[in-house]
Amino acid sequence: MSLKKVLTLRTIVATSAGLTLATSTFVAAIQVAGFLAGNAAWLAILTSGLLCFFAAACFSELNGQLPSAAGIRLYFGRAFNDNLALVISLFYMTVVMGIVGAESFILARVLNYVIPTIPPLVWIIVMFVIAAWLNIRGVKIAGNFQDIITYGLMLSIIVLAVLAFEKINFRLENLTAVGGPGNLVQAVALGIFLFVGFEWVTPLAEESTDAKLISKGMLIAVGLLSIVYAVFAVAVTSTVPKEALKHSVIPHLLFAESLLGKTGVIWMTIICLGASITTFNAGLLSVSRFLYASAREHVLPTCLSKVSLKYFTPWTAILTVFFVGLVISIIVLITKRYLIFLNMAAAMESLIYVLAGLAVIKLRQKTPATQRPYIIPGGLILPGLTVVVFVVLMAAVLITDKIAGLCLIAGLFLSWVYVINGVPVLKEKYRKKHPVRRRRPAKVEVEEQ
Amino acid sequence: MAEHSEITASLRAFQEGYNKNKRLKKMNADWDRIVLVQANDIPSTHTLILRKGELTIQEGPPEKPDLKIISDSETLADMFYGDITPTQPYLNGTLKVLGTEDDIVRLDFISLMIWGE
Repeated sequence: MSLKKVLTLRTIVATSAGLTLATSTFVAAIQVAGFLAGNAAWLAILTSGLLCFFAAACFSELNGQLPSAAGIRLYFGRAFNDNLALVISLFYMTVVMGIVGAESFILARVLNYVIPTIPPLVWIIVMFVIAAWLNIRGVKIAGNFQDIITYGLMLSIIVLAVLAFEKINFRLENLTAVGGPGNLVQAVALGIFLFVGFEWVTPLAEESTDAKLISKGMLIAVGLLSIVYAVFAVAVTSTVPKEALKHSVIPHLLFAESLLGKTGVIWMTIICLGASITTFNAGLLSVSRFLYASAREHVLPTCLSKVSLKYFTPWTAILTVFFVGLVISIIVLITKRYLIFLNMAAAMESLIYVLAGLAVIKLRQKTPATQRPYIIPGGLILPGLTVVVFVVLMAAVLITDKIAGLCLIAGLFLSWVYVINGVPVLKEKYRKKHPVRRRRPAKVEVEEQ
Repeated sequence: MAEHSEITASLRAFQEGYNKNKRLKKMNADWDRIVLVQANDIPSTHTLILRKGELTIQEGPPEKPDLKIISDSETLADMFYGDITPTQPYLNGTLKVLGTEDDIVRLDFISLMIWGE
C-alpha cells in the first residue's frame, strides 16, 4: 500500500538546502569573515556546518521516531510538555517572520542597487504582495523546479568563486589566521545562521515513504552548504577589501561587480532572486500553516483558521503573515538594524538545537522500547555534545549582540505569558461557544441494544 | 479500543455529512483521491474514494492510496464522527496523515466543513 506520490533523495536535499540558501545568508557568510583576522572564514563556516551535523543527527532520530509535519511542536511536546513546545514554536515562528523581514530588506537593497530609480520600499511591497498572492492561490514550487534552483545556485556560486580565485591568482595564505579563540567562537556562532532552516525539511516526512531519506537528505544538504559557503566567503574576502565589505548591506554584489563588472552584478542579482524565492515562499508558507493549525487547536484566535473556499488555503493566516512581515521589513528599512534579526535567528536556532539534543536524551529515557529507524551512534555522547556546544554558541551570539539577546529573552517571556494566560482563555471561550457534543453512540448503549 | 464496526459506522456518518453538503461536493469535483484509513491497534482498514465530488467507502485497503490516515481505533472513530478535531491528535502524534501537504490541509478543511470548528 505505498503512496502514489513519493519524494526522491535529490529533491529532499534540494529542499533542505534551498530553504537555507538566501540572500541574507550570503551577507551573513561575509559577516562571519569579518570576525576573523585573516582569510579564515572557511574554518568558521566548516566548523558551524560540522556542529549542525550533530543537530541534524538529533533531528534525524526525532523525525524517524515521530515522522510528522508538526515537527518541533511534537518532538518537544512528547519529550518535555506541551506548554514548553508551544512557547518555543510560537516564538520560533515570530523569529522566522523576522528572517523574512531581513531577507526582503536585503533583497530590496540588491534590486535597488541594480535599478536605483525604484526605491527599496517599493520592492519590499511588491515582493510581499507577490508572495502572499501566490500563497493564497496555492501556487507551490514544484519538486523539479526546486532541484533546478538549488543545484543551479550552488553551482553558480562555486563557478563565481573559481573565477575569483583565478583572477586574483589565489594563494593559500592567511587561511588559518583567526585572531584568537574568542573571534573564532563568535564567527562560528553567527555561522549557525547560514544553516537556519535545513531541518524545515522534516515536514516532508509525510510525503516520503522512507524516513531514512529525510535524515540522509538533511546531512547531505548541510555538507553541501558548508562547502559552498566556505568557498564563497574565502573568494569574496580575497577579492574585495574587508573594510569595504564590513559596512555594506550588499557585500556579495560588490564582490560580483569587482569580479565581472555589470555582468557580475546581473549574475549575482539572479542568484539572490533564486535564493530568496525559496526562503521567502517557505517562510510565508510554514508560518501561515502553523498559524492555521494553532487556530484549529484553539491556541490562537479562530479567525486565523479561515480557509479560502476557492483555493483551499488559509487566507487569513497568510494575510496576517503578510502584514506582520511587511511591518518588520519596514522597521528594518528605517532602522537598518537587519543584523539583529540575523543574530536573533542564530541564537534561536541554537536554542532549538539544544532542545533537540535534550529531546533525544529525554525520549530515549521515556520511551526506550519505541522503534527508531535511525539512532545516533555512540549513545548519549553526540546528543549531549549538541546540547553543550549550542549552549555555548547561543551565549556567544547573545554576548556579541546584546540587543538581539534582550529581544530573544523578551520574546520568549511574552510567548510564555501568552501560553500560560492567553491560551486557557481562548480554549475556555471555545468550550463555552461549543458545548460538549457526542455523535458517536456510547458503547454501553450499543451493547444493550 | 473501538471495534472495526464502530470505525465503519463513523465513516458512514462522515460520508452522510459530506454527501449532504452540496457546496463541498462542488468544491471537490476535481479532487479525485483515494484515502486509506487504517487503525494501528486492531485489524481494520477502509478506503475512502473521492471521485468527481462523490464520496464512497469500501472495506479493506486500496492498492495505491494518495493519502494514508493512521491512528488508534478510538481516535479514528471519534474523529470521523466529528467528536474531536483532527488537529489535536495530529499535533500530539496520535494521528498520522501521510500524503502531500495540500491534500492534508484539504482533508482537514473537509472535516471542518462537515462538523464545524
